[in-house]
Amino acid sequence: MRGLLAVFQKELLIYFRSPIAYFVVAVFLLGTGYFFLYDIFSTGNAIMNETFRNMGILLITLIPLVSMRLFSSEYTGRTMELLTTLPLKSWQVVLGKYFGAVAILLLMTFGTAINLVPMYLYGNPETSTILSGYLGFILLGMACLAIGQLFSALTQNQIIAALVTVSVLLAFWFIGHLKEFQSSDTLRDLFGYLSFANHFGDFIRGLMRSEGVMYYLIVSAIALTLNAGFLQWRR
Amino acid sequence: MSAAISLEAVSKQYGPKTIVHDLSFQVEKGEIVGFLGPNGAGKTTTMRMIAGVSTATSGRVSVAGYDMANQNEQAAQKIGYLPEHPPLYDTLEIGQYLRFVAKVKGVPRGEINREIERVCLACRLEDVRRREIYKLSKGYRQRVGLAQALLGKPEVLLLDEPTAGLDPGQIQETREVIRKFGAENAVLLSTHILPEVTMICQRVAIINNGRLLAVDSPANLQRAAEQSNQVALTVRAPGADLEKELRAVNGVLGLVIHPVPSVEGVVSVNCQIEQRDGIEAAIARVVAARWDLYRLERQQPTLENIFLRYIQSAPQKANEK
Repeated sequence: MRGLLAVFQKELLIYFRSPIAYFVVAVFLLGTGYFFLYDIFSTGNAIMNETFRNMGILLITLIPLVSMRLFSSEYTGRTMELLTTLPLKSWQVVLGKYFGAVAILLLMTFGTAINLVPMYLYGNPETSTILSGYLGFILLGMACLAIGQLFSALTQNQIIAALVTVSVLLAFWFIGHLKEFQSSDTLRDLFGYLSFANHFGDFIRGLMRSEGVMYYLIVSAIALTLNAGFLQWRR
Repeated sequence: MSAAISLEAVSKQYGPKTIVHDLSFQVEKGEIVGFLGPNGAGKTTTMRMIAGVSTATSGRVSVAGYDMANQNEQAAQKIGYLPEHPPLYDTLEIGQYLRFVAKVKGVPRGEINREIERVCLACRLEDVRRREIYKLSKGYRQRVGLAQALLGKPEVLLLDEPTAGLDPGQIQETREVIRKFGAENAVLLSTHILPEVTMICQRVAIINNGRLLAVDSPANLQRAAEQSNQVALTVRAPGADLEKELRAVNGVLGLVIHPVPSVEGVVSVNCQIEQRDGIEAAIARVVAARWDLYRLERQQPTLENIFLRYIQSAPQKANEK
């Protein structure tokens, strides 16, 4: 447990000693602020649905910038050699890094809470729907980070890691649209189930379904397991 | 008690290419062993296998009694490893970096500060602990790498060219640190710098093309080398004729002729001769009778010569097999 914690602290320290975390959080909060302003003040409804949807897409494009350095930079900085020779298990490295990145995600998420202040002051929003949206957002971000971290482990090049991650995440986001072209019911269900957007849509509408929670957690778990397995195999 | 580091018939293959062939040697506790070899000989590959970065294709590597194939996590507690390029996080301060390594190595919470102070003192880093690593010179980076390896009081220290990039003063200090550590623990250090080996190592392992050529104390290697003598000459002569004449001299075992690049018609010759007086004189007489002899010298078996001789004779040995 101490090893995992040490890796986690190191990751956070590195995030905040380089400009990338500040940049990502700033861009995300600016973007979210804009969506919030546009979607809520222009419609006059205290509903976050549209804002959450836009936040989801913004998240997918920004998460790769957070995850790309997780392993790639260890390869290019030759510090992977240190991590493999220190008394650390692969899963400790993988989870320590993952939780470090999730901490950035949580920071982004809680930063958007400032938008809620005027909404609660001047409107009458539905708290449970908003909470559900936030839960969905965090789960979505966790799945995206796990996928990004896996691709970061597969290449030394941070840019490649980010580009591949963003492509894969966009594919997962839009895969639901393929549903409409399928005649077979199984394929329709499958594409619908795989879609990041569909599950996120449920959360936004206030449906906290265990199926959605499980979906994102399973995607994260698969990506993290592959990640740890890959590190083990590299030896 | 088993040896601190033990390699038994270790081989490493990458695809069809064999980098390390059938390597066996031991490093005992309280011993500093130098690992010598030209670039690409397989030193770093071997170090990485001992450190647990990669696994051996065949054979057995064990450190502090733990088999690196399946007990590498227990062994990792006992190993301090400084790779060829010090593994540093550039954005961190030296103190933050060392704290991370100390935590992972399981240094108890209450002792972390004391332990960091100890290694900083040993590696002369006391005054720069708050400095960011990317601002450090090569020498300082090397020292931070060494400090990292010393954290947590390992039993085995693996150092891949620890003095590379240091100035003479720093080299002296680093050697002192290694010597002190090696008095009670096991050290395997790879290096190109031959005098370093004579200065601090009790034994030397010479490796070339992934094969172990010799393991012995520097003094013994020197003594063994004296058994077969070398004579070097520089002559203005056509190579073929010279070779014929020299081979005819009684006591000449073998010779290598290469042209001196800057002067046309002049060749330099390395003669392997029997352990007997008077052979140099015979060579001198034969050569001087026909050509201009510029230089004739009995070569001292310095470690450099021994090293080169082992390296040069290695391919022949491989062919004989």
